[in-house]
Amino acid sequence: MDLVKLTIDGREVTTTKGRTVIQAAEEAGIAIPHYCYHPKLAIAGNCRMCLVEIEKMPKLQIACNTQVTEGMEVRTQSPKVLQAREAVMEFFLINHPLDCPICDQAGECWLQDYYMQHDLRKSRFIEGKHHDRKREIFGPHVVFDGERCIKCTRCVRFLQEVTRTEELTVVNRGDHSTITLFPGKVLDNPLSANINDICPVGALTDRDFRFRVRVWYLQKTPSICPGCSTGCNISIESYQNRIARFKPRINEEVNSHWICDEGRYCFHALTEVERLASPLIRQEGGLVPTDWQTALGTVVSRLSAAPPAAGVLSGRSTNEEAFLFAKLLKQLSPQARMEVFYRERELTEVERILKSPDRSPNFRGIRDMGVSSDGGFEPLLRELAQGKFSSAYIVAEDLLAQFAAGQELRDALAKLAFLVVQDTHLSETARLAHVVLPATNFAEKEGTYTNRKGRVQRLSPALVPPAGVLQDLEIFGRLLSLAGAPSAPPNSREVFSQIAREVSRYQGLSYERIGTQGVQLET
Amino acid sequence: MEKILLRNVDAPESHTLAAYRSRGGYRALEKVAREMSPARVIEEVKASGLRGRGGAGFPTGMKWGFVPKDSPKPKYVVCNADESEPGTFKDRLLIEKDPHAIIEGTIIAAYSIGSHTAFIYIRGELAYASQVLQKAIDESYQAGYLGKSILGTGYDLDVVLHRGAGAYICGEETGLLSSLEGGKGWPKVKPPFPATHGLFGCPTVVNNVETLAALPWIIDQGAAQYAALGTEKSKGTKLFSVSGHIRKPGVYEVEMGYPFKRFLEEDCGGVPNGRHLKGVIPGGASMPVLRADEIGEVRMDYESFQAAGTMLGSGGVIVMDETTCMVKAAWNIARFFAHESCGQCSPCREGCHWMEKIFWRVENGQGESADLDLILNISGNIMGNTICPFGDAAAMPAAAFIKKYRAEFEAHIAEKRCVISASG
Repeated sequence: MDLVKLTIDGREVTTTKGRTVIQAAEEAGIAIPHYCYHPKLAIAGNCRMCLVEIEKMPKLQIACNTQVTEGMEVRTQSPKVLQAREAVMEFFLINHPLDCPICDQAGECWLQDYYMQHDLRKSRFIEGKHHDRKREIFGPHVVFDGERCIKCTRCVRFLQEVTRTEELTVVNRGDHSTITLFPGKVLDNPLSANINDICPVGALTDRDFRFRVRVWYLQKTPSICPGCSTGCNISIESYQNRIARFKPRINEEVNSHWICDEGRYCFHALTEVERLASPLIRQEGGLVPTDWQTALGTVVSRLSAAPPAAGVLSGRSTNEEAFLFAKLLKQLSPQARMEVFYRERELTEVERILKSPDRSPNFRGIRDMGVSSDGGFEPLLRELAQGKFSSAYIVAEDLLAQFAAGQELRDALAKLAFLVVQDTHLSETARLAHVVLPATNFAEKEGTYTNRKGRVQRLSPALVPPAGVLQDLEIFGRLLSLAGAPSAPPNSREVFSQIAREVSRYQGLSYERIGTQGVQLET
Repeated sequence: MEKILLRNVDAPESHTLAAYRSRGGYRALEKVAREMSPARVIEEVKASGLRGRGGAGFPTGMKWGFVPKDSPKPKYVVCNADESEPGTFKDRLLIEKDPHAIIEGTIIAAYSIGSHTAFIYIRGELAYASQVLQKAIDESYQAGYLGKSILGTGYDLDVVLHRGAGAYICGEETGLLSSLEGGKGWPKVKPPFPATHGLFGCPTVVNNVETLAALPWIIDQGAAQYAALGTEKSKGTKLFSVSGHIRKPGVYEVEMGYPFKRFLEEDCGGVPNGRHLKGVIPGGASMPVLRADEIGEVRMDYESFQAAGTMLGSGGVIVMDETTCMVKAAWNIARFFAHESCGQCSPCREGCHWMEKIFWRVENGQGESADLDLILNISGNIMGNTICPFGDAAAMPAAAFIKKYRAEFEAHIAEKRCVISASG
């Protein structure tokens, strides 16, 4: 690797040949303001915000398109550069509606931020502003405001280079230039909402998120998307204990800068349910509330009394939960068979850019923890439907809602000597249970997922669970001690330490090592 | 002076192959085919001192020399016939009257860089000229000057005529290439330059019509003959399109270094109707205007115009007499550039319209005292900060009109009306 030495603002910087000035500066911690430059998109060079002065070059140069050379001297703060930045900011703002109070981008708008950092002047523009289309629906997730657009073409380039679906283009000339859909196209590709993220201004906003909450109130929690086993890194952004949106979190080993639309909006279905507030137990006439002691005691005694048991874990269960679940089922019902819910579907070419064919983000880790049986999930389900089990423990999967051919399964579940369902809400499947244990969703728990490619990544709790429910991990832990097993560690971090001791492929791992970017298991 | 570029235009049927050949046409190509290697042709063109006639004045031979010889990609020659600079109509004359000179020049250029496909990108509005040119191309194919194994040399070349769709920016070489590729006529960010990454990402030379049309004469008569004309750094002859308040408008071929004042007063007959010269734009609308008192010592070459604070540009000479409102002239030019800005990069997209709006207010009695310095400031903020030279082309004339006729602008603002023409 050839190294190049240059100076930026008097500081000596060493970088690799082929890098651009903007990249070299970023490596050295020097931020050069920019709009159109995006590390994952082709260079457009149109915003002119990253103009810098380079020794021996008569004109200012754009840092995004200038490759470093040995001995190059770059100035990012010279009077000439500062004046050009101020000028570019002014050009961007003369026709901008300055409608920050009603703009959903406010608070994360690069025009606002750079205005504060690089301009801070009164407008000198007294002419009539150019008008453009407002509130134009581009697709199910994207709405366009032409007057706020700075024509950086990030959206156009994303659709050309990443999805290759090419729904958008720039039409017209001069200050009449505007972004528009090609005739007959709808912006509905499976990754479409990413253009809301990369739009640096309020031109493209998220139809699902906009007007729900001002962004400065959002609490951001690094986590993993529960949509499928790709394991895209996300930031769960919440307000008043509700998820407001998912944003992609950069991880070049997994999802780069992107997430898919299905994953982005999957939190609605997973969290916006009528939550159970206490355990339920079946009495004559139906399910009635009970206390945890009764509920858990019933599970231990009745499961062990009705072998063989089937255990079904949700694909959204954590490794730590699966580890305890496997121990629990073996303790209660030595002939128990257990599996993680897993089903595949067909994906289109664009979906395959990010999506995996399943909806079980942690199927791989759960199997690593011992929740697996010969043949996988489908044979187990078939045998369950055929009445080959006497009892079952189903966690956070509404099996009846998942399958159209549910009648056979429904009858089989209804005939079980004992069925316990653990979930956030009273699902169709839970309605058949003898005991229902109210538990937590992906956003309320700590733990790890292992993605399809064997990368172990951490979930962090973004929400506080409602009163009356228990963490899944705690439920398994309490059941284990009621069943007379050695007591389980009290929290997921310590369960993971135990995993790292007992599961050979996870040896030596810890939450610290996993960090925010995950660790790849050796294959 | 012996005419080089206009040597054929007055001959009967000059646009036909027969007339062209009877006047020595394709002799240069035969010489090239018979006895000159591509490297030899490039050397000859370098020695001639020929510089690009599209406006930038870059040495032609040197431009060709930048094309990589060992590239596995196809190479292209593109003739820029998108003549759109206001006040410029010289290429149109050459295309209509001497198309074979352009074709012969194109073949010589393509041969020298090893290109087997050349494109001629012609301004869409030049409908008649493009018919003439297409006929000439067809004639050249039939005569064996184009197509397979030209003149039995084994060298193949196809020439494709492509009509533009009416955008000034497509005269900028990389805007032209984007358009030719089928995209929006947006100039490309440089580097890389067309010599290595041009049309479809392949090595490309873009030459102006007038540049290519000079090549047959240079090859036929020898570089030394051409270099003997003109000044030390501006060799040969140059076409000037003269329009406006002048007695004899038209296209003139002038030896580089010819006195500008004498050219206007004697060759072009001076300002008619007993009026006085107020200003002249020497190089097309994008170049700074010169006041009448500034042209005394100016000579018609790249360096002399530059020393006078303007540029030779495309050689579009626009003459304005004392009845011309310079505010209105500035607004007219600003409006043109605002209309033609491609909108790709921010300073030009926003700045051109802003300047146009201010010029309009000043001309229409709504100017404010801060407006003139504001335009100068906007113009300075555009200059040098854009993707392509269009930004400079819009900024330079705007600033020059204000700087050179400031009193007239101030009078418009003070009296809240146009002080020159009754019609406003």
